[in-house]
Amino acid sequence: MKNPDAIVIGAGVVGACTALALSNAGLKVLVIDRGPIASGTTGAGEGNILVSDKEPSAELTLAIRSRNAWFELDTDIGGGFELEAKGGVVVSRSEKGVSDLKKLASLQKVNGVETIELDASALQEAEPFIARDINYGVLYPGDAQCQPMLAAAQIIRAVKKRGGSFIQGENVIKINSTSGSIVGLTTDKNTYSTPIVVNATGTWAGEVAKLANSYLPILPRRGFILVTSPAPKLVNHKVYDADYVANVASGEADLQSSAVVEGTSSGTILIGASRERVGFKNDLNIAILRQLARQVISLFPVLSNVQLLRAYRGFRPYAPDHLPVIGEDENVSGLWHAAGHEGAGIGLAPATGELITAQITGAIPFMDPAPFSPKRFKGGEYVAV
Amino acid sequence: MSQFEIEFTFDGKTISAISGQSVGAALLAANQRSLRKTRFNKNKRGIFCGIGVCFDCLVVVDGVTNQRACIIEARSGMQVKTQDGSNA
Amino acid sequence: MHNVVIVGGGPAGLSAALAAAAAGAPVLLIDSNSRLGGQYWRNASDNFDNQNEQHFDLETGLLLINAVKARIEIEVWSEAQIWSATNNEGKFTLRIIHQGKEKIVNTANLILCTGAYDRTLPFPGWDIPGVMTPGGVQSLLKGHGVLAGKRVVVAGTGPFLLPVAAGVIKAGGEVVSLLEANKSRRWLTSFNVILENLTKIKEAFYYIKTISEGKVRAHFGYAVITAHAGGNGELTSVDVAKIDRNFKVKKIKNIKCDVAAIGWGFTADTSLAGSLGCRQVVAKDESVTVWVDNDQQTNIPGIFAAGEITGIGGSDLSMAEGVIAGIAAAKFVGCKVEVLKAHRKRRAKRQRFANALIKAYPVKSGWQSWLNDQTTICRCEEVSLGDLKFSVEELGATDSRTAKLFTRCGMGLCQGRICGRSVVDLVANELSVLPTDTDRISAVNRPIITPIPLGVLAQGE
Repeated sequence: MKNPDAIVIGAGVVGACTALALSNAGLKVLVIDRGPIASGTTGAGEGNILVSDKEPSAELTLAIRSRNAWFELDTDIGGGFELEAKGGVVVSRSEKGVSDLKKLASLQKVNGVETIELDASALQEAEPFIARDINYGVLYPGDAQCQPMLAAAQIIRAVKKRGGSFIQGENVIKINSTSGSIVGLTTDKNTYSTPIVVNATGTWAGEVAKLANSYLPILPRRGFILVTSPAPKLVNHKVYDADYVANVASGEADLQSSAVVEGTSSGTILIGASRERVGFKNDLNIAILRQLARQVISLFPVLSNVQLLRAYRGFRPYAPDHLPVIGEDENVSGLWHAAGHEGAGIGLAPATGELITAQITGAIPFMDPAPFSPKRFKGGEYVAV
Repeated sequence: MSQFEIEFTFDGKTISAISGQSVGAALLAANQRSLRKTRFNKNKRGIFCGIGVCFDCLVVVDGVTNQRACIIEARSGMQVKTQDGSNA
Repeated sequence: MHNVVIVGGGPAGLSAALAAAAAGAPVLLIDSNSRLGGQYWRNASDNFDNQNEQHFDLETGLLLINAVKARIEIEVWSEAQIWSATNNEGKFTLRIIHQGKEKIVNTANLILCTGAYDRTLPFPGWDIPGVMTPGGVQSLLKGHGVLAGKRVVVAGTGPFLLPVAAGVIKAGGEVVSLLEANKSRRWLTSFNVILENLTKIKEAFYYIKTISEGKVRAHFGYAVITAHAGGNGELTSVDVAKIDRNFKVKKIKNIKCDVAAIGWGFTADTSLAGSLGCRQVVAKDESVTVWVDNDQQTNIPGIFAAGEITGIGGSDLSMAEGVIAGIAAAKFVGCKVEVLKAHRKRRAKRQRFANALIKAYPVKSGWQSWLNDQTTICRCEEVSLGDLKFSVEELGATDSRTAKLFTRCGMGLCQGRICGRSVVDLVANELSVLPTDTDRISAVNRPIITPIPLGVLAQGE
């Protein structure tokens, strides 16, 4: 496909959803990745589709729409990625934690998120194995789960069936523009002509922006996930302690971690979450594995006897203000960025695809995309839009 | 019973073993080849590699799941059960 | 002077421990089994009689084991499982589960002798109870005094089938069929190698004598291609095929049996070496092995390796390599000792023998034609060949790692040890390409080497 209507760089979940939305809008889309589908951050994702961890904000609006979009997408392409309306339970042990949680939940409720307060006995009923000294939680029926690698793969499969193509193993070396407008791009193997390029390369989005002589401040934030051996059903929902929400927004350089745990349809239990700023360092941080284990046992003592089987790491892409980038490049017209979703990439992917497609085709977007515009990074400085 | 013979139960049935034998070996000697059912297809599995590498011979021992029968030494009074999927 | 830390108590590890201790280095020997000896000298506790019957040379094994136990310079940790190993610029940290607790060992000197296990190939019905590996049948006999069944089919390829068949017969079982996939004449093309290794011939004849006394004939150019279950879901018979030199099926007949012991050589367990960053290479038999220099040192100074992980070659070669590794490691920590020419000559002789064996017992790709889409490939996660093909044809997987992420193949409790090698071959075949070394090596790398309970992980430092 030498002259596609649009090229999406990156076959992770955001690139795949973008390609699908563009295809559904009638464009012939080419997806290019230097590696296999989901070989970036998506392949290390837990599969979180959350509305619970965001304060009322543009991002919450995006998250609510995206969560529903996942279920529509599931029907649209015929499933195959273990989408489950599992629900999330946020708990807290401390007085302050509980009061903060109550405040957040009531704000979220007003903004369209379904919340159900759980006292000690309701919490025990929802999660029979949770630690007995936790007395308060909030249930978010909207939180959902999927298998992210399968999701990206099934979506790309649908894109191909709808007239799009996918090329694996080509490395983009230059994004070409004339008089400030995109004319195409060049890889290490081919040159393509197109008026629209979408940069959906996640943690590498900054490097790719450079290939167009532009700028995008995206940095990696490393995270680990522990996977247990297949276990009996001990955890019914996604369960997190209230620190998780604060963690996402924090900017501290040191290791941050809090307990996040859930079962999967295959029987394994996934345990997170940690955040470190160590660039792209690839080593296994044993101290973090231990901390994650301690935290999850504190939430679910029964997990003490369950075995750790695998641990994997990924690099979340984040912008300085911790908001995703969804919009047209400041300098080069026709170059669009859909990247920087930090730890919410999977959850926010379909709505990102919709939002960017609306902007590209000139349709009315479901929300004002201004908060996510890359123009907020004017000349290397973060400026609030 | 000689000083080397011990007894344990498997799904309630009494099984004798020679002290030092694995649970799996003793069960095989008692003609018990199936040890568990798989979690998706409910297929029967027994000892496969016999040396603790394949994790197929999983049984529940005194309430603890995922015990490799070919490696766990049989002890007097042990309560061993068929493992159903991941469940005890 | 620092300790020499040795992982693995089989022929290589025992030999290395004795050589290092004799050279003056204190040794810590870490072994995951309850008794020393590894797979080759898997021996039962003293409660069992007739152990000699099951081993051709148990005396050598017992000699080494007792010598190791007798030396106070050698500390032994049995039932010790390493779950993680990291390399911090020349300081190697081993995290070990020993007696339910975690122990940490830091060392600048390591000898890895983690051995191998039976290589298996998937085929329809291979997951039915009653289908086992030759190693499993032998371990039940040697280690627990139990005969796996009354009517045993022994099949696959390689000289290891002989002692297993002989063992069944000596224990009073019936070997219904002994099936070697390769032709017998391949052996005879290396006369000089045979002459060099007369004790191996003696050993072979010992087994052959037992087998012919048991009125068992070996059939060459045959393989078990399907296993069938009875009403109770357990093995009742197998389909045996006459195969051509590429392992493709020519004629099939059915044989009743209650045990099928099927093995296709060995797979080395290099996960510990890989975790530490040792360079791995793909050997002629397509197994992943650890690269070592002439002194059994890996590409990482201070880490040595010996035995099957440096190349499948049997116990004699493992012992010769272990001795050299032990001496070289002792020298590394400051002992005044040298590897002698005689050591190297002995290793070279045994290496030639091992090479001849590998050439004589290849596994040809025709085995893939025995499978159908319902055949289980990943036993732990019940992933079928059809699932694997879907991940390649429909979901776009172009390597075994991606296929693994899409299907869960290799993500179960055995951590891909059983299916990993086959998945690489099957995925490459689906893509009509040859498996790459990278693909093979990535299939064996496991940062978590063995499962560890979260509670034990949480309590460690």
